[in-house]
Amino acid sequence: MAEIMDPADMVEDQRHMYFMKQALAMGESALLCGETPVGCVLVYKDKIVGSGMNDTNRSMNGTRHAEFLAIAEFLQIHQKTELQETDLYVTVEPCIMCASALRQYKIRKVYFGCANDRFGGTGGVLTIHSDPSIDPGYPVQGGIFREDAIMLLRRFYIQENGKAPNPRPKKNRELNTTFDNGDGFVFTA
Amino acid sequence: MATSSRRTAMWNVIQAIEPLDGNVVPVRTIQETRPPEGFEDAYVAEVNTRSASKVTKTLDIELPRDSARPLNHLRRFCKYEMLPDHVKSAVDEFRKKQTIATLPTLFCILGPPLPDAEYMRALLDPYTPVPRARSRSLSPTASHHSKEPPASETSRPEKWPELFLFKIRVPIYPPSNAEVAELWSKTMWPVTFNPAAAPSTVVPPPQVLSRAQKSIEPRAGYYLALAREIAKESKQIGRGRGVGAVIVDPDIESRIDNNAWEEGYNSRERWMQAVIAVAGDCRFARSEGRGPYRDYHLPPDAPATAYYGYKVDKEGGPDLHALMRAIELVARVRRGDPDHQVSMSNRYCMPVVFSDPQLAERLSPLEEYFLYEAGNHAIPGDSTSSISSTPTSSLSPRKRKLDEPNPEVTSSLDAQVGTEQPSSTPLPAPPPSTATALPDSTSSQLLPADGVESSLASLRIRTRAQGGYLCTDLDVYLSHEPCICCSMGILLSRFRAVIFPRAGRMESGGLASEPIVRPSPVQKETNTDTQTAPDDQASDGAENPERPYYGLHWRKELNWRALGFEFVEDETDDNLSNEGTFHA
Repeated sequence: MAEIMDPADMVEDQRHMYFMKQALAMGESALLCGETPVGCVLVYKDKIVGSGMNDTNRSMNGTRHAEFLAIAEFLQIHQKTELQETDLYVTVEPCIMCASALRQYKIRKVYFGCANDRFGGTGGVLTIHSDPSIDPGYPVQGGIFREDAIMLLRRFYIQENGKAPNPRPKKNRELNTTFDNGDGFVFTA
Repeated sequence: MATSSRRTAMWNVIQAIEPLDGNVVPVRTIQETRPPEGFEDAYVAEVNTRSASKVTKTLDIELPRDSARPLNHLRRFCKYEMLPDHVKSAVDEFRKKQTIATLPTLFCILGPPLPDAEYMRALLDPYTPVPRARSRSLSPTASHHSKEPPASETSRPEKWPELFLFKIRVPIYPPSNAEVAELWSKTMWPVTFNPAAAPSTVVPPPQVLSRAQKSIEPRAGYYLALAREIAKESKQIGRGRGVGAVIVDPDIESRIDNNAWEEGYNSRERWMQAVIAVAGDCRFARSEGRGPYRDYHLPPDAPATAYYGYKVDKEGGPDLHALMRAIELVARVRRGDPDHQVSMSNRYCMPVVFSDPQLAERLSPLEEYFLYEAGNHAIPGDSTSSISSTPTSSLSPRKRKLDEPNPEVTSSLDAQVGTEQPSSTPLPAPPPSTATALPDSTSSQLLPADGVESSLASLRIRTRAQGGYLCTDLDVYLSHEPCICCSMGILLSRFRAVIFPRAGRMESGGLASEPIVRPSPVQKETNTDTQTAPDDQASDGAENPERPYYGLHWRKELNWRALGFEFVEDETDDNLSNEGTFHA
């Protein structure tokens, strides 16, 4: 396996890793705010032009996912058509709603960390990015810092939900730090 | 004063609404319309009827069923008469070769998965058919054999009949309905259909579905007519496409119903009281990427073609669709924002956009009316009316200002209302102070003086502090089938049900689960004239048969589900949408 990597590929990999780290940082902010820790950044010509985190609890709006916030920020300055040359880096595979929104907005490509086995719209449950539709599809690439994205989610779900009518005590739970070979995360929400 | 005249205008618009006539029908789930079909091999064996219980015990031990796949729809035993024809003929063939008639037998299924044949022969050996004491063979060839040793159940005969073991193919999933069950029973193996057995992940529990349908039916025509009115407003203002959303609280509906009995009014006429928020499509109202958000409308004299077809680069995205905006309006009240602008950002926690991307500050006249003013209608039997005096009312003047619709918006709509009125039956304009007060309103629930808005919205949309959460237990009525994005937004918002007119089906929609199947009365009437029956699917209006069917409202893979209903109008032209293809 001692293949020598094309330097161009290495640069490309570094690029993806850099931007995914920024998305993970947004996910950390979400965790601090008591939101499901999912973060994302939009990258246009090597620059971050929009960032978002899950915002459903604060806003009382179940549709305010990270992708929607990032697009809203993007549109404050950029032309909508520039999304066609923009990539999304998101810690968790976009849900079905976001997968469709990204397609309607004509995103160029989506990079994600871990798959979303419960709501995923780009392969996790449905394949909204490539199904027949009135909009052109987009390519997706998963697995970038997958374990970091899963750890963020685990740190969130191990917390007790004080808002639940009968909070389940989770004191005795230990943070699982092992990974199996599947690349998904099963939401318990 | 401007407020009261606008309110009167809105009240008149609402009073003029004629309900759609038609029926509410559940949108079947994708599990029903596209049931998973899987078939595997199994054996059929013939055993002695009296040994049936022993066979069951033996098989439970030796061939335990997988609890994850119980296969309870497959009958374990059946009589010869119940066998599918191909199995019957195999039995007949087999019996021809046998020389011994037996005591009554049953046929038993082994597997799936298909067990080893020799193992089964050994296992079932003690229970194979028992020869009759006085042989009376079933097959003509065997009829001459009259010298079998006398057999009884206790003494083993010299010649034990061979075991009938025959491979068949069986369905591994339960049938989705009685017709499928009958078909499989005739062609594969007897199966049972149990509608109550389907897990709620596959279909909504029947009693939940029918209860919701009963509560939706009486007023759906009104809400959908209102949704179309909102759609019309959006288009006339030039803010968006003709798509509208109406959010209804079933809890308020049932309170209206309960009170109607006591107070003797027709609860259907109070339909508007249960509407807690409405929103129209706004996709042309935000200049996409031309600096900070500002209003941008199609000019009032925009040709109809401006709306036709899908021009993705010139339209706002799904966040400006009617459904998404309606959700945000409810969220806005739930948050109990004292000041909308501040609430959009909590900057030291949230490094995110703090503007109003969904234009929730710029309400159309109808949107504003239902979000804030319709709350001034008395809600019958409301025990929470004391909430109207919550301290938030002191902040209302500010909110009022923010909610002031764009002047050009108002004027264009007023103009429209003004021009339309002569053609319709003129309604006596109620005096402003009582314009929105219904006859049963007590004086404390009447509209306060202009400009002194109490936060009556909180009466109907519970805030976070009052336990309100997302759109839990609410119903949403839409003028069109929502796009995939909005369909999933409905689930993520935890709506109880979504209802749209069948005439509003969209090629890009996310809820329909199958092509429209029409009963064809034409076919019946013309049957005598011609033998060639018209093809139902081909004559199916404008619906593109190639469109994908997601049935997103109730899918077993997803964590959240909502009941889905289509409203089938009594009289409708077959043009499903005359605006061409787009995302609703």
